[in-house]
Amino acid sequence: MIAWYASDLAGVIIHAEPVMGTMVSFQVDQGSCTAREAAAAVASACARLHELDAIFSTFKPDSPVSQFRAGQLRVDDVPREMALVLGLCEEARELSLGWFDPWAMPGGFDPTGLVKGWATEQALTVLRTAGIETAVVNGGGDVAVLGRPPDARAWRIGIRHPWKPEALACVLEVDCAVATSGSYERGPHLINPRNGAMLSCIASATVVGSSLALCDALATALVVAGDEGPELARSLTGYEAYLIQADGKEGATEGIAFASGEVA
Amino acid sequence: MNHRDRWSRGPAAPKVVRRLRRAPAVVAASAAGFAGVLALHTGSRPSILGVSGPSTVRVDTSTTTTDPRHAPPPTAPPAAAATSALGNNEQYGYGVLAVRITVRAGRITNVSVANLQTAEQYSQSLAQQVIPVLRHEVLSAQSAHINGISGATYTSEAYASSVQSALDRLGTK
Repeated sequence: MIAWYASDLAGVIIHAEPVMGTMVSFQVDQGSCTAREAAAAVASACARLHELDAIFSTFKPDSPVSQFRAGQLRVDDVPREMALVLGLCEEARELSLGWFDPWAMPGGFDPTGLVKGWATEQALTVLRTAGIETAVVNGGGDVAVLGRPPDARAWRIGIRHPWKPEALACVLEVDCAVATSGSYERGPHLINPRNGAMLSCIASATVVGSSLALCDALATALVVAGDEGPELARSLTGYEAYLIQADGKEGATEGIAFASGEVA
Repeated sequence: MNHRDRWSRGPAAPKVVRRLRRAPAVVAASAAGFAGVLALHTGSRPSILGVSGPSTVRVDTSTTTTDPRHAPPPTAPPAAAATSALGNNEQYGYGVLAVRITVRAGRITNVSVANLQTAEQYSQSLAQQVIPVLRHEVLSAQSAHINGISGATYTSEAYASSVQSALDRLGTK
């Protein structure tokens, strides 16, 4: 979303695309591509996001996901993308020990807690396929990165502080994907699938890992898991977690890389 | 002193408790104040809490934390090189938002909320939480200390669009 970045960094395309009810921002280093090719890659990634939004919007009554929720679309007849997401939802439900469960949402199946991260990841895949080697795509706070920043060993992603609006909680070094959920958010994906409650002692959960879709879902799961969040964090294989509890206590699994010096 | 626990996965691994420097992450240029945001907190009207600024640069000080008897003298206006522009009113899911940006020497030095209207109190309080984060993102991204923020949502779209329209108005590419 940082359009004025472009004036400082030659060869970097900055673009912000309103889609999926949020803003997806791109920072793309054109690298060995021409400016025209890089711009075309960003345009393709945006077009892909709109296609995915049309499939997964729960607000559009004729979207495949709405039809699936309403029982008008059988699981064997869903679009390819939705079949992939259904598989990822099952994987996330398993990894999260049931704390992420799109099938347990009021109003029917709702993969929203995973789709934003997945779609953001898909946008990055479009860029990579087009020959882009260095990029950050930020889908409303779900961040997927490619390559390395030109001036540092890892991307530095600030983690929104759950209740100090003027501050970041920390800065993490990220080489693939990071997502953050907080009890400051709203929406059905933060409802505890076990008892329908919306409150949690986890104020904010951040997950770092290889799949942004799973990071997104697991961050949600850690918030709704409440008291059991730290235990769930420790149980995750292949994913690292950083939690801020409502009492201000923070904890992180061993693989979380806090950026040295945090924000200067 | 706040600290972070390190959770090890294996029983044999040593527990590492890492102490990190706290609180350096506050927004740079806080002296410029959260003009619009502070006004939101002090306003009494439930739904419309817009703050319309003049078209010239203005440095606001906090009205919630400063005792007027001991308040510093009003800050002198910045150098004439600074310009500001009002962004469009942007619709988002829960209301309308517009920002004002201040630019000096090709860099954004401040972003304030010029207008925020929401249909209900809850959306307003959410916006109050998110807007400073977005402001931080705008300001700090320019300094390249961070490459993005995880966890900022909802008002992002309207905020970014309004910032962009203000930039367009100033002719910044």
